Amino acid sequence: MSYRPTLTRTWWLKNTAFKVYMLRELTVLPLLFFLLCLVKGLYSLSQGAEAWYLWLAVMQNPLVMLINTLALLASLFHAWTFFQLFPRVMPLEFGGKKVSAPALVAGQWAGVLAVFALVAWLFWG
Amino acid sequence: MELEVTIQRYLPEQSSEPFNQSYTVPYDTSTSVLDALTYIKEELDPTLSYRWSCRMAICGSCGIMLNGKPMLGCNVFLRDYVQTGMLIEPMAHFPVERDLIIDMESFLTHLEAVKPYLISKDSKESVQSFDPHNQTPRQLDKYQQFSSCINCGLCYSACPQFGLNPEFIGPAALTLAHRYNLDNRDAGQAERMPMINSEEGAWSCTFVGYCSEVCPKSVDPAAAVNQSKVTSATDLIFSLLGGRS
Ligand code: SF4
Ligand code: FES
Repeated sequence: MSYRPTLTRTWWLKNTAFKVYMLRELTVLPLLFFLLCLVKGLYSLSQGAEAWYLWLAVMQNPLVMLINTLALLASLFHAWTFFQLFPRVMPLEFGGKKVSAPALVAGQWAGVLAVFALVAWLFWG
Repeated sequence: MELEVTIQRYLPEQSSEPFNQSYTVPYDTSTSVLDALTYIKEELDPTLSYRWSCRMAICGSCGIMLNGKPMLGCNVFLRDYVQTGMLIEPMAHFPVERDLIIDMESFLTHLEAVKPYLISKDSKESVQSFDPHNQTPRQLDKYQQFSSCINCGLCYSACPQFGLNPEFIGPAALTLAHRYNLDNRDAGQAERMPMINSEEGAWSCTFVGYCSEVCPKSVDPAAAVNQSKVTSATDLIFSLLGGRS
């Protein structure tokens, strides 16, 4: 006698929380593109100078640069959501005291800055 | 002051489809949605069915969807919906028996499945024994937040994974399992892990996180479920190394 409502394909359009969730999951698409570029780049490197320069030229294509910029923004957004969740999933203790959530989030961003600094030093230092 | 309240009705003896019906309800600053439902039943339409008991957000029986959001009817007030209007529907993702009455069977089965009780180290020496089981504030602090659940099931109505697959053990039950695993008086983790590790267990959760947003007791079930993923992964590594299971 009871009726069982079923979820439609558009369930995630129902509220903001679901839309933000979908946005977070969608960040994988531009990242996938970036990873494919990276793999192709490594492969071109192994194929000699000509292939490498061709790859470099493709990377300078405005559309490719646009998608890769999007990938950077997407990964920063994903990192932001992840860092926010981290203190809830992995509450850490230090010297018998709970580390506060803002401290954990700040620690993770410090890690990102360190990686940026390392990369900047490697390529431009 | 009066407000129009629309309710999704379902009367199986009349129609196999639910339909909406509106009522005009007088309210003041202290009128809750539950008060409005009671007013409708007593003054306007005695055929309306809904659940309630405590009227103070502690029994967990009055869950509804209010403008699409899972809420406790006794915990929300008409005064806050003057602009938006009010659509009251039965809790999402559960079979509906009549009007706002849902069938909670699947939720209760999942709760039971996680063995939500203290399992003592030696089954003969039951936890019910008269010996005191002292706990330090720090030991209590490890799980206290996760023990505030009132089994209202709102988190299940907020969880699209449960909506897509009712076999998913779901937020509250996984939280309860985690609550007992974190309790130093309990020795039942090994018995709970197979269920937590299973396909219907913690790994079905994709951290949508809406469950924690709607929880009226700030239990943060999303945190508990994802903490138990960490436990589950550790458990897997140990069992691969041939250690404790
Ligand atoms: S975890 Fe919160 S929302 Fe879920 S059943 Fe318990 S009290 Fe209700
Ligand atoms: S009537 Fe008990 S929680 Fe609302």
